Amino acid sequence: MNDMRLTERTVDTTEIKIAARKVQVYYGATHANKDVDVDILDKTVTAFIGPSGCGKSTFLRCLNRMNDTISVCRVEGEILLDSEDIYDKKVDPVQLRAKVGMVFQKPNPFPKSIYDNVAYGPKIHGLTKNKAELDEIVESSLRKAALWNEVKDRLDAPGTGLSGGQQQRLCIARAVATSPEVLLMDEPCSALDPIATAQVEELIDELRENFSVVIVTHSMQQAARVSQRTAFFHLGNLVEFGETGQIFTNPSDPRTESYITGRIG
Amino acid sequence: MTMHATNMGNSLYKTDPLTKRLNAAEARFRIYGMAAVAFGVLALVGLLTSALGTGVSAFRQTFVEIPVMLDAAVLDKSGNRNPEEMAKITTIGYAKVLETAMVAELTERGLLNDRVSAKDAGGLISKEAPAQLRNMVLANPELLGTTVEFRALANGRVDGFFKGRVTMESAALDSNISPAQLELAQKMRELGLLSVSFNWGFITGPDASELRPEAAGLGVAILGSLYMMIFVLVLALPLGVAASIYLEEFAPQNRFTDLIEVNISNLAAVPSIVFGILGLAVFINFGGLPQSSPLVGGLVLTLMTLPTIIIATRAALKAVPPSIKDAALGIGASKTQTVFHHVLPLAMPGILTGAIIGLAQALGETAPLLLIGMVAFVRDYPAAPPEGFLDPAAALPVQVYNFTQRADPAFIERASGAIIVLLVFLLAMNLLAIILRRRFERRW
Repeated sequence: MNDMRLTERTVDTTEIKIAARKVQVYYGATHANKDVDVDILDKTVTAFIGPSGCGKSTFLRCLNRMNDTISVCRVEGEILLDSEDIYDKKVDPVQLRAKVGMVFQKPNPFPKSIYDNVAYGPKIHGLTKNKAELDEIVESSLRKAALWNEVKDRLDAPGTGLSGGQQQRLCIARAVATSPEVLLMDEPCSALDPIATAQVEELIDELRENFSVVIVTHSMQQAARVSQRTAFFHLGNLVEFGETGQIFTNPSDPRTESYITGRIG
Repeated sequence: MTMHATNMGNSLYKTDPLTKRLNAAEARFRIYGMAAVAFGVLALVGLLTSALGTGVSAFRQTFVEIPVMLDAAVLDKSGNRNPEEMAKITTIGYAKVLETAMVAELTERGLLNDRVSAKDAGGLISKEAPAQLRNMVLANPELLGTTVEFRALANGRVDGFFKGRVTMESAALDSNISPAQLELAQKMRELGLLSVSFNWGFITGPDASELRPEAAGLGVAILGSLYMMIFVLVLALPLGVAASIYLEEFAPQNRFTDLIEVNISNLAAVPSIVFGILGLAVFINFGGLPQSSPLVGGLVLTLMTLPTIIIATRAALKAVPPSIKDAALGIGASKTQTVFHHVLPLAMPGILTGAIIGLAQALGETAPLLLIGMVAFVRDYPAAPPEGFLDPAAALPVQVYNFTQRADPAFIERASGAIIVLLVFLLAMNLLAIILRRRFERRW
């Protein structure tokens, strides 16, 4: 695992963006997450790793209440975003999702133009007063997603006509355009080829300057490459959570070690 | 040194029995499939040939063109050109005028002989013609005293003769027409007094009585069907789409919504005549709405079409990939925004197709309309909407049914002609569905 740049890693901040305490998630009778406690730091990339079905995606979807769309899903416990409980009755999930953006496993651009894809969020949230401001947001978002140079001449082209990697970066630009504070990524590279994956990973590292990023990944290499902190999930439990370097080089739990060395998974 | 392995009796060049069986089964299935398709195509060809074969002639009509002297002494006895007083002269008076004109023209041309009486000569003209002449004169009394070139409908038997339906042999047995009259008609055609041309009256004119098939038209029926379609479109489409969106995107999953769902599916399968009974009981007997009106017809057809539209719309909404919904929700769009900005536009082609198919189904529906009185004989055009929605009207499919119920063989042609008009409308609607689907279709 030569590509693990463990030494380059620095955690600039210790400010807690999201704090989860004793989170339980049930899908009907299935107990998908058990007693999960996680602190997600601001301006940091946090990776969730673990074998399939371990509950890492489920937990990620709790952080912006996307689980609300599944009628059988029930969440207990406490998730604080900037010390406010996002599952409080007073919280409208729509407002929350503008603050906590999400990028999905499969690139899912709207069947609209590239411009409209990025402009949609700012439009519905009323972030701009005029077209010039909107143009500015679209450009800066596409720049942040490292896509501007490739698409600046064809903003009217359909977003669905881009390549897989470009589509995923377009989705990132779309998520970034509403100026969220946290960006959730659910296996953002699993549908991409290695070159597109490398581009997106590079992008994630840049996004860290402005956002707190949480990424779910199947690839331990990817977690090692992009994240500062890593959480290992197994059978719905959060087994271990700490500095990425420590998790990969000196895991304290035997299950983590078994997973990293390929014995379970 | 390398050696090629030899196979032990199971060469790939030889088809084994299992593969043979599989291939035979596949070949058999292809034949069944082709037979099914061929049967369908044959049935369609048969249907079209039969409808077109008998119906196309309804669009052509025989007319008698003669100069008619509008004798003021006969048609306006008081001589003051007052249409109210002139209206006292009934069509019988005008029939005499037409007969006189016919005899005068034929005598001048030397066509009258002892085998054809004046009455026989007048009989070549439709019984509807005097009414048309009367309407013309009442609308424009200035014509009195002049001679006008009048284009009168020919009698249905004469029309049938030129379309091959009536022959000399059948005329010999027919009390309505004689071979001598047909010979006269033949000569008149050679002289240009009688011609066969396109029959606008069939499309625009009202229905006519049993005795004058040559005058029967579809105007009232087309208007009635149009009014009902307006109703169905305005009521069923918004109601159906709103119900589907609610059920598909917003409604909680519980026993009550399950029950509604089952009921909608069942309603789509309810025989249409049941909706007719419902309409009769609720709208006419209980609601007191007028019989035979496009309003009641439209309401009944709306009830009948709603399940079709709801089922099609829900299928279209379901077919929108959930990833698009996730994407919209994920950037903080509300549920309503997600539905109206993303789901609905993507479902639009499917919704429109469903709606137009439902509409086409409603256009061709006969049974429920029979029960709410649209089977009545209606000769007056309904007024312009909105008052016209309450006027009695006919409907295209019911008109077909009415034509087939009548004794005169000329109505067979009319019925098939009406079927052609109905098919043209249905074809146009399906074409519209295809065009709309193409236009709204977006790929993802």
